[in-house]
Amino acid sequence: MTAIVPEAIEFPAALTRAQAGDHDAFAELVERHESMVYGLAYHFFNDRSRAEEVAQDVFLQLYRNLRTIETESHLLFWLRQVTTRRCIDVARRSRLKAVSLEDAGELRAFDRPADPFLDRRLKKLLQELPDVQRAVVTLRYQEDLDPSEICRIVGMPVNTVKSHLHRALQALRRKLEKHS
Amino acid sequence: MTLENDLKRALRREAPAPGFANRVMERIARQQAPPHRPMWWRAAAASVTLAAILGGYATHKVVEHRRGEHAKEQVLMAMRIAGEKVAYAQQEVRAIGTSD
Repeated sequence: MTAIVPEAIEFPAALTRAQAGDHDAFAELVERHESMVYGLAYHFFNDRSRAEEVAQDVFLQLYRNLRTIETESHLLFWLRQVTTRRCIDVARRSRLKAVSLEDAGELRAFDRPADPFLDRRLKKLLQELPDVQRAVVTLRYQEDLDPSEICRIVGMPVNTVKSHLHRALQALRRKLEKHS
Repeated sequence: MTLENDLKRALRREAPAPGFANRVMERIARQQAPPHRPMWWRAAAASVTLAAILGGYATHKVVEHRRGEHAKEQVLMAMRIAGEKVAYAQQEVRAIGTSD
């Protein structure tokens, strides 16, 4: 008989050890959440080097604030919130709009989607949306979060989040039709 | 609905380049390491420390010397007082002898 051990049972040990100053445990936390944090930043900027920089900054900030993290779900919420807000801040400061074509098309061999052309086009069209809409769409579709969860992360009323989502999808549909 | 499915597929989590956790840990280690001081800074710090030690030693010597001088003066004064007392006693003894 095989016992199914949920990930959540294993996780608090790493968090607790990291909070006690165990660097290996902190590295374990980084490895566990790097694709979530990096993915949010990458989809926001469509730029790998910018995403790497933001993701590293987020984990450095986590290291400094590790003692304030209470649970696994709190850690997830904290990482999503800090990553999203940092992306918006960085974009506002630098007004980064230029996208490297090389970055836009780069996909890992083991992670190749069914229609790479459509994916690439969607990622590029996403960059044309306003910062907040882009963040909301990334949280909705990368992290599969409901508007009620997204509103806590971005600090907006739930109806505003729904409105951002609705407008973002409308804009993307329009742009897709126009391009096809 | 198709667009939403397309977005879900296009916006899947992305892994960073291999070694990401190591790069984060290196940045943490760099921030925790004490700042590297240039050679002139270390030489200046050593000079200040040496001057403080020598200064302290010199001050200690002066204080010790002053204490010694003070003690010597007190001993001389005590001997002078004692000498006066002895002379007085001798004088008294001689006075008793002549009166007989």
